Amino acid sequence: MTNYIPDIYQSSLPNAMTLVGMEYDRVPWVSLTFLARRGAETDPPGKAGAADWAAEFLTLGTARRNQLELATDIESRGAALKARGGFDAVMVSLEGLAEDFPQLMATLAEIVQTPAFPEDEFPLLKERRRADLVHLLDEPREMANIRFLKLFFGDSPYGHPAQGDLQSAAALELNDLQEFYRREFAPQTASLVVVGMVEAAQVEDEAARNFGAWAGGGPPSLPYVSAPDKLCTPGIYLWDRPELTQSEIRLGHLGVPRSHPDFFALKLVNYILGGGGFSSRLMTRIRSDLGLTYGIRSQFHFRRAPGPFVVSTFTPAAHTAQVVKEITEVMTEVSRAGVAPQELAEAQSYHVGHFPLGLETPQGLARQLLAMDLYELGRGYLKKYCDEIRTITQETAARAAQVHLRPQSLVILVMGPASQCAAGLRELGPVTVIEES
Amino acid sequence: MTDTRKFNPAAWQPEIEMVRFDFPNGLVLFVLPDKRLPILSLQVHYRVGSRHELPGITGISHLFEHMMFRGTETLGPEEFSRILQAKGGEINAFTTKDHTSYFENLPGEHLELGLSLEADRLKNLKLDDETFQPERQVVISERKLRSVDSPFGLVLEELYTAAYTQHPYQWPVIGWNQDLQRMTLEDCRKYYREHYHPGNLTIVISGDADPQAARDLVEKYFGDIPPPGLPPAAPVLEPPQRGERRVIFKKVSQLESLFAGFHIVGLDHQDIYPLNLLSLIMSGGKSSRFYQEFVRPGKAVEVSVEIAPPPWAAQDPDLLVIAAIAAPGRPLAELEKEVWAAVDRLLADGVTPEELARAQKLMRAQGARSLAHNFFRGLLVGLFHMKTGDAGRVNRLLASFEAVTADDILRVARQYLREDNRTVVVLKPVSPEESRALGELA
Repeated sequence: MTNYIPDIYQSSLPNAMTLVGMEYDRVPWVSLTFLARRGAETDPPGKAGAADWAAEFLTLGTARRNQLELATDIESRGAALKARGGFDAVMVSLEGLAEDFPQLMATLAEIVQTPAFPEDEFPLLKERRRADLVHLLDEPREMANIRFLKLFFGDSPYGHPAQGDLQSAAALELNDLQEFYRREFAPQTASLVVVGMVEAAQVEDEAARNFGAWAGGGPPSLPYVSAPDKLCTPGIYLWDRPELTQSEIRLGHLGVPRSHPDFFALKLVNYILGGGGFSSRLMTRIRSDLGLTYGIRSQFHFRRAPGPFVVSTFTPAAHTAQVVKEITEVMTEVSRAGVAPQELAEAQSYHVGHFPLGLETPQGLARQLLAMDLYELGRGYLKKYCDEIRTITQETAARAAQVHLRPQSLVILVMGPASQCAAGLRELGPVTVIEES
Repeated sequence: MTDTRKFNPAAWQPEIEMVRFDFPNGLVLFVLPDKRLPILSLQVHYRVGSRHELPGITGISHLFEHMMFRGTETLGPEEFSRILQAKGGEINAFTTKDHTSYFENLPGEHLELGLSLEADRLKNLKLDDETFQPERQVVISERKLRSVDSPFGLVLEELYTAAYTQHPYQWPVIGWNQDLQRMTLEDCRKYYREHYHPGNLTIVISGDADPQAARDLVEKYFGDIPPPGLPPAAPVLEPPQRGERRVIFKKVSQLESLFAGFHIVGLDHQDIYPLNLLSLIMSGGKSSRFYQEFVRPGKAVEVSVEIAPPPWAAQDPDLLVIAAIAAPGRPLAELEKEVWAAVDRLLADGVTPEELARAQKLMRAQGARSLAHNFFRGLLVGLFHMKTGDAGRVNRLLASFEAVTADDILRVARQYLREDNRTVVVLKPVSPEESRALGELA
């Protein structure tokens, strides 16, 4: 059944860096990703964005070439370079036509190993990032996501936006970026993931030649794995945005880490609750039956340390309280009574049937390999995935729902026009009015 | 570890194998067999989009797309999605100016189920008030999300409304709020009868399917649906623009910006190829002219030249849009002046051979990348057929880009990027109080 999964090749380079790859023969494409297994969770206090900015800064000049020379070389090959820092990792990826593989590998090595950190680029980066952050203030959905995490996690490592905020943008200096790079770009916590129309032997040769002698920095930060000591008090929080016509709503509580044994059970429970689109209970109730939103979803953010569980939606402002109440009721039903046999069977057949769709493109395969490497899921993960899904029983799912869904402990953020939604929300409980940050 | 396969990526040919079947009732089927993975993309494209609407019922094509998921005589609301998702499928749909497309990306073994359900909703759709009323509210919420509360949704609506005086591209696909409010169930029924029939339908099956077996399945489920034989609508032509139009739009915003639309060509016209390369040269990637001149030094958050690539380009002449978002504290008027100066330099000097080669290679790379995906392969074939009647263009796509010369780019730049052919909408930021005083956003 799983003979369509390409073989994985994996080895350690002489400097202890990991190489993982797959051959792919459908189109002449190759995707290369350098992964450093530390990210925005290591940003120092007040310096949110250090990891993400450092990633971009690598692309702004190397010992040999400046930003324009690099970009011209890469784009003249039709290739694309992306560098970003998220929670748990920083990734620098370069993908393009497989005929250019040796040049792409050499360019990726140049960017990762010999950044020049040009001083004259830093004020430009700072200005661009500040402008992007100001622009983000006009995106209600993004602002609600950011505000919720800040409200929920406070000053703990997952509480700030990975791209930084306006305060940290003013505070970040070039040496914060250099310090992140010096500390976290170390071979023992780095991997190179390659998927494409290139033979394994050639990838191994080129990887050893381009990355094998790289000494890098270090020692890297200790991995962040535990939950924060202090989290936001459950309750309703309102951020008044009088110019909006709809309220953005986020409800959540602490989730579990990626390594948790209930991962597969929660994947299925969440599909049934709010992750499965029109097959989910939240979509059925709030959109199909009541017509109160265009979209609603729930998600466990599985990370190295416990990430958040969040339900996200929006609704015309007058319906805000009703939507909050309905979501809480649906969560309570699933938490108390578990899921129906047919729901579980359909969630399982969805995940098993959908599995090959995620393996169709080089990018899809690379995403799988990156997750396997980052969260140490084991080389057999893809071959065992469908069996893991099938072994979840009604009882396992019900227990996972009962333990990990806590509708009585929700932090509820509403961002919308208070004049239209505050009175209704107060009928549900005390409302704390909060500011932008 | 060592593999004996030998790859030769440079020799790869991007040809899509396609088998076409024409049915007596007008339905056209394309099968694009590819058995590398046990999955396929089933796509059902109806030739009906916002261009087929009339004032008073704008947005009905898109609203109707929603209604297609609301049940049939035998299936309950959203059961269509639930059944196919339970087989592993990705189910969705989208409406454009020219067509409405439904797709199911799913394991190949469930093709028959997908076809039977698509035929069921074509033949037996249940349209009643019980499902219509909540769905109308869903679309109103979607309009608020995409247009009203989004930074530039209403601004782009203003641009199209000002740039088009006669062609139906002047209204948004999602429709005007007041039309969504007053549309009736009977409007939907009438629309369904007129547009949802096999003569208006192209099916594409891309992936793990045998062409003949797929044809037999389509015959089994769609072959008995009669064509109503309605005449095609007469084409609408937008008269040439005879002078710049400027519009001011005020809303709460952090930044000043402008959107300038230039009338260009539809998908059927060869100029679409040099125009796409022109947009890449101006703003595609971090070596592009606009990125280097405006974004990198922090003068603008964004300055881009936006045009849909073939076959996503609209069927009739659309707009090429230059978007310029000023950086905080930078006056928009200054940025605008510099943008037009950069355009003038292009009109005077053209592009360099290196810029052209870079843009062509980017197109070749993007083409290769998208062909990894059954879904995109199917869309390429289906959209070219729907909008030009010639699906074979998909296999001439790269050659069409590679045939473009620097002279072609200079010619199209001079022909279309003219002030008289330009409509500019300026977004002027106001405070929430000023916004309220200007009236309701809708």
